[in-house]
This record gives sequence, C-alpha cells and structure tokens, in this order.
Amino acid sequence: MPDSNVAELVAKYEEELRGYGASLPDEFNRSATALSAELSSDQLDQWAKTGISLAGQSLRAWEAATEYFRSSPSIHEKTDFEGVIAWAGIAEELAQKSSLVAASFLKFTPEVLTHISLDELSEWSKQGDRLFRGNWKSGTLSAAYFEHTPDLLSVLPLHSVEKLVSIIDALTERSYELASTCLETSPKIFKELEQPDREPFLDFARAVTRASWADTRLYFERGPDLIASINSQYRSGFLELSAKVTSEVGRQAFPLFADAADALGQLPDDTHAEHINFASDLALGSPTAAMEYLKIVPFASSRLTPEQLREWSNIGSDVLISENNAEGAEAFFRLESTRAEAALQALSSRVELSTISTLLRMYAKALTGEQIAIYSVEELVDQNIGWVQESVATTEGSSIYLPPFVSTFEAQEANFQSYKVFATHQTGRIEFGSFAYKWNQDGSFTSATVEDREASSEDTSPEGDDEPKAAAVTAMQRYFNSFDERSLISGIFTVIEDTRVDAYVGREYGGIRKWLKQLQAYEANRRPRIENMPLRSAFVENLLRASLGRPETMRWPTVYREFLENGLSALKLVEEEEATVQDSAEVSAVIYDIAQRIPNITPSMADGKFEFDVPTEDMLSIQPAMPSGDGPPMDMQANEQEVEFENPPQPEFRGDFKPELVQLLARLKQQQEGNVDGEGTPLTKEQLKELLENSVEITIAEWAEGDLDESLGMFLENLEQAATPSGEGKSDDETSGSDESSGGDGEGEEKELPVEIDWSYYDEWDFRASDYRPRWTRVGQRFHEAEEEPEFYSETLRKHHGLVMETRKQFELMRPEVFKKIKRVEDGDELDVDLAIEFYIDKKAGIGPTGRVYNKRNKIERDVAVAFLLDMSASTDEEIEKQRQSHSDDDDDDFDGDPRKYFQWLAARRASQMIEPPKRIIDLEKESAVLIVEALEAIGDSYGIYGFSGYGRDNVEFHVIKDLDESMSELVQRRIGKIEPIRSTRMGPAIRHTIHKLNEHDSKVKILILVSDGRPQDHGYGKDRTEKEYAVHDTKQALLEAKRDGITPFLITVDKEGHDYLQQMCDDIGYEVVDDIESLPRRLPTLYRHLAVE
Amino acid sequence: MTTNASGFTQLAVEDFRLTEEPYYLEINDEIRLFEAAYENNIPVLLKGPTGVGKTRFIEHMSWRLHNAEGQSSEEGVPLITVACHEDLTASDLVGRYLLEGDETRWIDGPITRATKAGAICYLDEVVEARKDTTVLIHPLTDYRRLLPVEKRGELLEAADGFLLVMSYNPGYQSALKDLKHSTRQRFIAIDFGYPDRDQETEIIQRESGASAEFARDLAKLAEKVRNLKEHGLGEGVSTRLLVYAGKLIAAGISPRRACQVAIVWSLTDDGEVQRSIEEVVTSIFDE
Repeated sequence: MPDSNVAELVAKYEEELRGYGASLPDEFNRSATALSAELSSDQLDQWAKTGISLAGQSLRAWEAATEYFRSSPSIHEKTDFEGVIAWAGIAEELAQKSSLVAASFLKFTPEVLTHISLDELSEWSKQGDRLFRGNWKSGTLSAAYFEHTPDLLSVLPLHSVEKLVSIIDALTERSYELASTCLETSPKIFKELEQPDREPFLDFARAVTRASWADTRLYFERGPDLIASINSQYRSGFLELSAKVTSEVGRQAFPLFADAADALGQLPDDTHAEHINFASDLALGSPTAAMEYLKIVPFASSRLTPEQLREWSNIGSDVLISENNAEGAEAFFRLESTRAEAALQALSSRVELSTISTLLRMYAKALTGEQIAIYSVEELVDQNIGWVQESVATTEGSSIYLPPFVSTFEAQEANFQSYKVFATHQTGRIEFGSFAYKWNQDGSFTSATVEDREASSEDTSPEGDDEPKAAAVTAMQRYFNSFDERSLISGIFTVIEDTRVDAYVGREYGGIRKWLKQLQAYEANRRPRIENMPLRSAFVENLLRASLGRPETMRWPTVYREFLENGLSALKLVEEEEATVQDSAEVSAVIYDIAQRIPNITPSMADGKFEFDVPTEDMLSIQPAMPSGDGPPMDMQANEQEVEFENPPQPEFRGDFKPELVQLLARLKQQQEGNVDGEGTPLTKEQLKELLENSVEITIAEWAEGDLDESLGMFLENLEQAATPSGEGKSDDETSGSDESSGGDGEGEEKELPVEIDWSYYDEWDFRASDYRPRWTRVGQRFHEAEEEPEFYSETLRKHHGLVMETRKQFELMRPEVFKKIKRVEDGDELDVDLAIEFYIDKKAGIGPTGRVYNKRNKIERDVAVAFLLDMSASTDEEIEKQRQSHSDDDDDDFDGDPRKYFQWLAARRASQMIEPPKRIIDLEKESAVLIVEALEAIGDSYGIYGFSGYGRDNVEFHVIKDLDESMSELVQRRIGKIEPIRSTRMGPAIRHTIHKLNEHDSKVKILILVSDGRPQDHGYGKDRTEKEYAVHDTKQALLEAKRDGITPFLITVDKEGHDYLQQMCDDIGYEVVDDIESLPRRLPTLYRHLAVE
Repeated sequence: MTTNASGFTQLAVEDFRLTEEPYYLEINDEIRLFEAAYENNIPVLLKGPTGVGKTRFIEHMSWRLHNAEGQSSEEGVPLITVACHEDLTASDLVGRYLLEGDETRWIDGPITRATKAGAICYLDEVVEARKDTTVLIHPLTDYRRLLPVEKRGELLEAADGFLLVMSYNPGYQSALKDLKHSTRQRFIAIDFGYPDRDQETEIIQRESGASAEFARDLAKLAEKVRNLKEHGLGEGVSTRLLVYAGKLIAAGISPRRACQVAIVWSLTDDGEVQRSIEEVVTSIFDE
C-alpha cells in the first residue's frame, strides 16, 4: 500500500482519534506507516477501525488503543492479519471490563510472544482476566500480571504461571497487598531458583497458601534461601514432601518446613538423600513425624554415628508403623518421649556428665574421704576466677570440674572410663597432696633447696625494679617467686607433679591403669611435632612424653643427650613410691636449672649444629636419680635469636593445674572462716594483686580489656565469693535460682526478699504417644513466707469453735490403729504356751508363779503421713454466692414477680455482705486447712499442706504451707492465712512433687489428698486451649504413680460438673464431689478419718 | 566333754575353752587394757561397728588369759557367750525349772554357770536385750559380784575369774535402743575402730589366705568405702566382709566379682551407691 494511502487513512481517522487522546494519532500514524507495507488497504482500514472501537470502549480506553496501535506492527511480524484481529478481539473483551487491564495486555503482548506461541495467547490473557474482579484493586493486580509475565515466562512455562496465578488469586481473597507483593517478587524468586526446583517450589507455595495464607509472604521471602542449603538433587523431593505434609498439618506447615530445611542445611550434603527418603517414608504414616525427624537429625547426629542414627530412627519408625501410633512417633522424633531419650542414650557412645555426676561425686568422696562436689567445668569458667578452658577437667581444691560430655572414643564404656580417669586424676591431686606444698620442706628423696634459691634470686634480681615485694601469700607463690622464669618453672612443675600423681594413680588403682594407659597413648599420639620446636620447649615436651609412658617417641639431639638424661632420671624420681609434692618441687627446680642452660633455638638457627634424633637405648632405661653437679657445659650460648619459651600443651586427661590459685583460694577460705592459722595477718589487697599479676596461671588476656585495676578488683571479688563457704549460696544437687518471678502480682513482691526456690523436674504423661515426656515440667518449690498476723487462723478457730471441738473429739477416738504384740500380760487375747508351761513348772517347784501368761495385741503409735494439696488456681477466687446464683437462676420466680420481695432479698444480701465479705472457694479451702490442722494435731499424724498453681510447664508453683516434718507453728498459721488464688491448675507435676515428698518420708501409711475446684488445666496442658483430655490423662497417670509408690491418693472437688472427668481420671482412685461447697470444712476431716483408718 | 558316736562334740557351756590361739591383731593397747581390767574385776564394754573383731578379741583374750595366768593349759578361762535378742528374759540368763516326769529340775542359765565357773560371760549385742534383763546384772558388776537367783531364793557369789563383758554397736542405735546410764557406767569401754590399712592388710592376708597384694587392695578398698559412711552407707565395710572377699579371691573367684558379692551387695541395696562402690572396686582391681 502506497504511502499516500496511509496519509489518507490517517487523515480519515485523525480527528476521531484525537478526540480520544492527544497522543493517539501519532501512535496510529507511526504503526500505520509500518504496517502499510504488509497490509491491504482494507485490512488497514479494519485494523484502524478496531483500534477506534477499542478506544471508544470507555473513558480511558484510549490508553489501550495507544498500546494497540503501538504493539500491532510487532504482533503482525509474528502472525497474519487474522491473528492481529483475534488479538485485538481479546483486548476488546478485556477492555469492556477494564481498559487498564486491556492496555497492559496489549502493551506486553509483543514481549510475551517471545516466550509463548500465538495460540497460547488466549490462555495467557485468561489468567489475567481471572485475576480481575471488577474493582480497581483487582484491575491493578491483573495489569501487573501482564506486566510481569514476560519475565516469569522466561523462567516458568505457561502452565506453571497458571499455578502461580491461582495462588495469587487465592491470596486476593485475603489481601490484595500480599497478592501483588508475591506477584511482583516472583520473577526474581523463580529466576534465582534452579530450574528443577521451580515447579516443586510452586507446588509447595500453593499448599502453604491453602493451609495458611499469611505464611505465603514468608515463604516467598525466605523459601529460596532455605532450600538453597539443601542438596540440589533432593530439593524437589523435599519440597514435594513439604507439600504433602502441608495438606495434613495446615498452619504448622511453614514453620515445620523452615525448621526442617534449616536442619538439613546443617547436615552434610551427601546425607540429605537418606534423610529425605526416610522422612518421605514416615510421611506416609505421619507427615508431622516426618518433619520432626528432619528437625532432630542434626542434634541426633551430634550424638550418634550414622549407623546408630539409623538404628535410632528405626525405633521411631517402628512406633509409627508397627504400633500404629502417629502421636507417639511425633513425640519420639521431637525427643519428647522417654523411649526416644532412652534409646538415644543407649545407642550414643557419648557420655554426659549430668547423668553420671552423682555417681562420680560418691566415687570422689570415696577416694578422697572429702566432700567433693562434681560440676561441669563451664561453671568454674563462669565464676571467672582464673580458669578459662571449658573442655578440660580441673579442680580448685574442693570441687572437681569435668567437661560436660566425653565423646572421644567410639565405645560408651571407653568414654565413661575416660571420665573416671579424669575424675581419678583430679581426686588424685587432692588425695596425693598436690596442693599441700609447704615452703622449704624436704621430700622423701630430696632435700629442700628453695630457701637458698630464694636468697640467690633476690641477690641477682635486677636493680631496676627494687620495689619492695609484698610477702608471698602462699607457699606455692613463694616457691614460684624463687625462680626468675615463672612460666618455665610453672610448666615444669605441672609436668612433674602430674607425673607423680599419674604414678600414684597407676600404683593405687590397678583397675584403671589400663584406661589411664589408653588415654596416655591417645594423648601421646596427639602431641605436637618436636621437630618444629625450639630446643628448650622440646626438652620439656620430651619429659612430658616420657611421663606419658611413651619415651620411644622422644626426639632429642644425641650431642646434648646428657641434658635430657639428667632430666629424665630426675623425673623418674617422682614416679617412685612415697614421692611427695616436696619432691616434685625439688625435681622441678633441678630440671629448671637444666632447662635454663638450653638455649631456646630451632635447628635451623643453629646452622645445623644439631638435629632431633630418636632416643638412645640408655635413655629408655634410665634410672631415677637426682643429677649432681652442673652437668656438661653447653656449647651454645644464648643468643639474640632465641625464641620466647612456650610450654608445650597439657595432655587433656590431666587437665588444668593451678596450684598457686588453689592455695590462694584455700587461704582465702580460711580467712573467711575466721580461723587464720599461725601464718597470721589477713591478706592485703596489695599482696593479692602482686600474686595475681605475677601468676602465670592466669592468662593475661583476661585483663586486656579495660582498666587493669578494675578487672583485678572484680577478679578478687569473684575469688572471695568462690572462697565463701558454700551452703547458702549453692545447693548440692539443684542450683536454686531466686531470680525467677514467682508468677504473682509483680509490684507487691518487690519489697519482699527474693523467695528461695527449689526447682525440680518431672516427666509428663503424653497419652497420645503413650509415653512420658522427659523432664517436661519444672516445679518450683517455695516456702510461703508471710508477714501477716495469724489472724485468719485464730479467727477461723473462733468462728468454728463447735466444729473444731467436734472433729478433734472424733479424731482422738481414732488414735489407736496399728497393733503390736505385747507379751507377758495378765489378761490378753492369746495364751503364750511357753509362759503357761513355765507357770505350771513354777507352781510345781513351789515358786510363786507369775500369772502373766497372756499375749496382748496392743495399739501402738499411728504411723501415718498425709499431704494435702490445695488448688490455688485463679478460679478459686470465685465467690460461692455467685456460683450458687448461677446454678439457681431458675429460682427467680420465688419472688413471684414481686419487686418488693426481690429488693428485700437484695438488701438483706447486701447487708450480710457488709458484715461478712462474700466467701470464695479459696476461703473454704483455707478454713478446711485450719480444721484439719487442728484435728491432725490431736492425733499426731505427720502431715503436710501444700498449695500449687503456676503458669506453663516451666513454672509450676509449689507453695509449702507446712512441710511434712515441720512442726506446727505460728509461721504455719500465718502461711495458711496467706493462701491466695494465683493462676492455673497443672495437677500432674504438683502431684508428682508431693509424691516425691511423701516418698522421702518414712511412714507406713501415706495419703495424698488433693482439694480442687475443677478440672486440671494450664497453658500448654493439652493440644490447645480447649483440649481437656491431655490434662486429665496426665493427672490420672500421676495419681497412678502415687498408688504405685504405695500412697493412697484421694481427690476432693467442689466442682459440680466434677463427676464426668473425675470418673475418667480416677478409675479406681477415691474421689468425692462435695455438693454443698460450704460443707467442705466439715467434710474434709470426716473423709480423712475414713482414709486413714481403712 | 563327750564325743558322740556320730562325730560331733557336745560339751557344757562352762567347759568351752579355746585350745588354739585365735588370731587377733592388736590395734591399740586393748590387750593390755583388758588384762588390767580382768585382774581388777572391772567389767568391760566393747564398743564398735560390726565386724571389726570384738568377738574375736574376747575369744583371743579368753585364750590368752588362761595362758598368761600360768594356769595349766587345761584350766583356762572359759568363755560363755550369750547372743542377746529382744525376747531374752531374766530366766533365760539366770536359769529355770524344767519338768521331768512329775518332778521339776532346776537348770542354771548361762550367767549362773559363768558365775559359778569363774568364766568370762560375754553378752553380745547387749542393747538388743530387754531392759529388765540388763538390770539383773547390776549386782554382778560392782564390788558385790553377786547374782541373785530369785526363783530359788539364793544369792550366788561369783567365783574368781568371773568377768562380765558386753558388746555394743553405737552405729545403728536409735534413741530407743541405748544403754541405760546406770548400766553403762558400770563398765570401762574399749572402743574398736577399723584397723588402718597396714593392719587390715595383715589381718585379711592372715585370715583369708589371699595374696599380700590382694589383701592390700582390699584394705585400700575398705578405706575408700568407709569414706562413704553417712553418704548413702549406714556403716562402713567390716573387716569380716573383707576377709570373706579375700577368701573368695583365694578360692579363685575374680577379685571384682568377689568384691561385688562380698562387699558391694552386702553393704547396700541402693542402686546408685552400689554403682559408686563398684566403680571404686573397678578402679582398684583390674579384673
């Protein structure tokens, strides 16, 4: 078509077009020119008309028309005229709904066509159309769809885009904002994902959206990163699994996915396949279990070898498959089941300190005869008193600190034995007197020379620092002071003294010799290469190797062999029987002298004057002796090149050795206990400072930060605190925290002293898993300290005077209960044949026979212990009147519709409330407590009264009102007065703690009486807030535990609806629903009588 | 003494004399003390935990005294031992009438026999006996040295050589079972503690026939286990048990096993304490 025709065409429509939009004619003009070469004039006219009709669709349709004209040439390049018209047809349909959407469609078509074929165009537009719902927001979204699809289609096929659209579409029902964010970010996300992951990612996204739409954003944000850490081959498998899981678990899906992905990320790539496959198998039975499995794998593999892990997981999968117990398997893989934990422990070769600390404590006590506590070494580091290594055993003289776990060896037994070797070496230091060094005393084989040394060291000390030195605080310090090079003497002394202790241990404890040897060998193989050491360090290292029983691994220049030979024979001396720490000190001094003459240089520095050789035969069979004289002259002088001396690292099983600090601590302890022995005056700060500054046992780096004086001060404080006699501060088994909030109202409690809380941990029964959740609940026992006057108590006594007297009388009647046979009485239930014969003999012999021939069954002291457990939950705050009211609403017509009667009643009630505040359930519990106390005092049974409440499994409050072996006092009366409603009712742990208390008590008959006002409930005491089953089952289980331990449990509730759950909870356990709440104080003593006598 | 046809010997209690020296290793000066008390007719109370050798000591003394006194070896100091229990009555000690056909016949109780024979009367675990029986011995223990025999209306003066000795283990006494002061203040008390390691080694070796090395290890073990007293253990391991363990070892039982059955399981039923002691055992013995 010639250009003139185009001009004609433009002229023909220009006016009309301009009416729609100012820029429209230009666009039309440009495209028409481009198309004119291809289209006939008729076609061109039709094309133009189509555009105009499009523009006429709506007010802003000109925009769409603009895009139509603009895109047409490039569309036509891809198709024929028919195609263009069909395309325009789609646009027109869209434009009828929204010109904006149509414009976007038209604008991006050319781009999209680079990814899809023309035939797919309608499918593509349909998706956009689907998003449009006739409102503005959806229009924008739909337009955005067309805008982003070119990008999307470059990474996703059209059918995947469809999936994405359906996700977006689903989101629009919730939030357009979220929908458009997801849409906008998706091109980037999918571009970053690897090709095979894209489809599964999308599938899981769809599942997430269905299950929990709000998580979609999180998934889009974090998902790609999360799965990036998974082995790429198995990513899709994991996503498929996740999608499957989602359809089952709903809301929990995303968190589970995220945690599982995170967990997989922590594992080596090549194990992913196995774990994901295993999880997929589990998912057939329980998708949650599958995800929990993946989550636990990193933890489990830190304790188990892959083989063991497989074994352990199979046990879990057996729970699922063989026992068909999905909940059980979930708990198993969550490690919230006793079975899982036991299996883990049995399989794992790793030994935890926490499981054997009681054992080791008794072991150490047996070995040393001293009360030695066992702690994790982490605790000592926390005290900041100079010990910094968290992984090696040590002692500060009164406690032994061990690493929190040992997993060095593959067999559990070997790891346990390592613990024993650690503990034995540390107790050895105490048992064999490593810290008992006394100044200048002779040993068994050596005579003391340190006094002379001290004198000469003072003479030679350089003039520069002639500040008067503070007197040494301890003998150990004074000893170290006598040497110029503290680090060297300290290193040597450590090696020598540990050698002595090892030798003692080997001699005294033949049974662990084998394990000690094994550890020595293990350490010997891990020693640093001697060949890399300078000569003096190598000297010390060689001594250390000899002391580990591996002299053949020594390396030393043969030309200097006398040095080492002298050192070795001195070392041998402390391996002799009877060697003392004094010997160690002297031997160290001699070795120090030798070492000092050895320049600390490497072979390369000495121009090949020496090299390290294997030990000679002589060296291996050296005899113990103190070297005499100065030994051979050294043919090398110390020179400038000399390297600073560094002690070779200590073998792990010997642990940290800090005799100077230990002696200091002991000294401080003495000082605090006030019995400073002969040595005299209290320590001054200067003395301490001097010691700590010079001691090489404290790493200087610790002071590096901040002011030296300040950190020194803090350090001293820590030391003094550590020296404080324990007892108040630290309890032996469970460290008692006092910082925990006690759950009640915060403000009032600030004034009071922090309440001392003893924490205990109890399992909880998970009826779904049919297994206990190990150490699931934490019960904080506290003494109910009360300041109030015991008014409530006396008031109650006064008010219920009659009742008190009555119950007392009844109780006194039941006093005798158990019988004991008493022999030789004149009147009794049975005849003693022996005595009767004797009677006749005596009679016959003419001796005044005694008529005491009967045995009698007499009543002896009762032996009953009873614990009352009072529900202190918030619901006990409820007024009884109100409750009654709510139950008797239908009584309204009592007033016969006569308002006067009603007002009379109301006035009377108000008046009575003025005199007496409305009674709450808790008040009745308190009154009952008073009555029962009075009654029980009359018969002398042991009894305890406890209250419980709390919130959540970590904070079950257990209030001691009167402990079992506490005697009745005014304090108890005050505590009863202070019983207050607090929070929830987690009965299980409270019952278990009471069982624990009763078990510790020595009585024939044990009774547990629980008084409550309703069903057990607490935060997390069940699947969700409304679930009641879990709590009921756990409580039932706790009651059964009581029975198993020979305790008679009994439940009393004032909850009228109590029958339904009590029947289930109590099976064959006694319970009673007290209908008339106010009869509780009267009823409780009666019930007790039945229980205690039956 | 009569030797029955079926091979057992039967003899009257006051005829029981030790003809061979019972092994006893003096720990402190208890032999000298006892001899002095015996010469001066001072009753003796032997205090100490179970299995440290109280009974062995008294046997040894009865043998030793008859030798030391220069008496002929036939005429030694007889030893009459009464194991006390809570149903022990005065007539169990003093004597009673028996029916014989239509007649009655008086039979002396152990304490009466000892009084007459000038024997050492050893009341083992005396706190177990009923209080009224302990009062019975009061006149015997002071200068009077008299035993009233109520049923016969007689008063018996103790023959020369008679001495009352009681044993008593303060370890497991509750407040209920304690000796009355009027009783305990009639005795001098010799306290028996555990022997030290060397002494115990000697005892074990001598008594059990185990090697010196095992004996020493057992003594070492004992020392360690006794450290656990009051910490899970009511009483430390007795020398007697160590001897048993030594005998088992000498009989070829492995030392660890021998200690387990003779010491660990005998001492306690508490699993955790058992485990701890076993660990000490396995530290000391290597098989």
